[in-house]
Amino acid sequence: MEATKFSYYDVLEVDIHSQQHEITHAYERARNTYSGDNPAVYSIFSEEEAREMLRMIEEAYSVLGNKTLRNLYDEKISKGVGKLEDLSFDNLSIESKLTIPEPKKRVPLTKLDYPRNEVMENKYANAADWTGSLLKEVREYKKVSADQLSVVTKVSSFYISAIENMEPSQLPAAVFVRGYVGQIAKYLGLNEKIVCDSYMKNFKQVGK
Amino acid sequence: MGAQLWTICAGKGGVGKTFITSSLAITLSKLNFKVLVIDLDITGANLHSAFGVALNDHNLRKYFSDQAPLSSLVTPCRVPRTYMIQGFWDNWLPIEIHLDRMHQFIQDVRKLDYDYVLIDLGAGAQSLYLPVIEASDEKFLITSPEPSSIEKTYRFVESWIFYRLSQVGNSDSIKNLECTLRDYRKINHNTPFCFRSYLKESSGFTFDHLDSINDKPFQILINETRSQQDHDLGYSIKSICNKYYDLKVDFLGSIDFDNAVWQSSRGREPVLISKPFTPLAGQFLQICKAKTQTNFHANFLKEVV
Repeated sequence: MEATKFSYYDVLEVDIHSQQHEITHAYERARNTYSGDNPAVYSIFSEEEAREMLRMIEEAYSVLGNKTLRNLYDEKISKGVGKLEDLSFDNLSIESKLTIPEPKKRVPLTKLDYPRNEVMENKYANAADWTGSLLKEVREYKKVSADQLSVVTKVSSFYISAIENMEPSQLPAAVFVRGYVGQIAKYLGLNEKIVCDSYMKNFKQVGK
Repeated sequence: MGAQLWTICAGKGGVGKTFITSSLAITLSKLNFKVLVIDLDITGANLHSAFGVALNDHNLRKYFSDQAPLSSLVTPCRVPRTYMIQGFWDNWLPIEIHLDRMHQFIQDVRKLDYDYVLIDLGAGAQSLYLPVIEASDEKFLITSPEPSSIEKTYRFVESWIFYRLSQVGNSDSIKNLECTLRDYRKINHNTPFCFRSYLKESSGFTFDHLDSINDKPFQILINETRSQQDHDLGYSIKSICNKYYDLKVDFLGSIDFDNAVWQSSRGREPVLISKPFTPLAGQFLQICKAKTQTNFHANFLKEVV
């Protein structure tokens, strides 16, 4: 018997209309049957055969256990397009990537990369009065986009813009804002304590 | 509607065929059905002890030697609505029953006025049993979780498939099938084997009639289970039969091991009578309810009317 002659539903012995949890259940049962020393198997299948069976079961579940791949597989079967040989896990996963493109991963900046300007560096290092606009200035000087900052600091970009515009109505309680500002300052290479203290002072002024 | 015929068979002896037959009968009688049990174990009768009834020479021997009609052999059990026909106990005489006689027997059984007729067969797929199994409405295949008993269950299944195939194939194709299968056993393969596709390729057999075997699948019942692992063997057997033999079987359930069973058999009293409220009784009830679903409600309605 060749693995590809049987549909994945036959391998897992489930109905084509089975619910997803039934498939998982059937898979677990099949795996229990063909792995280990099952007294019901040894007299019928040799070890190699059982191993091959197990491989088929894993392959079947890798497709049917995945909703996207299963839908694609069902569609192919119902249309009767192609042979079952073409419906392997690898082919299906390639195809699913074509129909549903994976979102591009943004590469978070781990190191700041920008042209240094000693005058500006000095200015920011000695600054004592921190506001949202100054934070924004530093961020733009260091060529970090709000999105990138959000990925690295785990602060949502919505909050970042609210912090930069100093809008208390858009932000949670002050204690959280302080935490966010601390994260931002840390990433931008500023003195956390000075930035937080002075920003929060200004922030509370705005609130009044 | 005539009597529903249930056969209880097993590949190996001592797995509890008689115990299960008697328990199913008692449970059916509790569900208000009129039940007849027939002891067709040609190696020796023992269903009477399961019910605590004495041996009787008014048994199947008389029917098969044309001394008495089947209906006259019926004796009441000690359980209400339950009757029995005792089996052979004079085994020093050879039992020679022609297959035609067996078919006649099945017809006579069907004429009897009972809701359910349970036939307790002996161990193994003896040629005498096969027509009875074929004619029955439900066939229970009993096994225990021991490897030896499971292996014999497969041997039983193989005999069954060959019996069914021999009805449709000609003698040449059957011989061919036997040879290819024997050869196959000797070689070691590293891809799993499948009855249907292999035979299709090797001898040009058409196996559409295998589908007709699948009409009334065997009901696998595992007796004396002691763990969930033992219970799950049922699914494994089902999967093997499906993948290897291409034979559909159903896994009906399992009966837990219970010391009460052998204890009450010493007292020659059915365990479901001496201890009616054990988990065991619940398991049998579940099985009987599942298997009588169509008649279940009608039967209670009958009682009300």
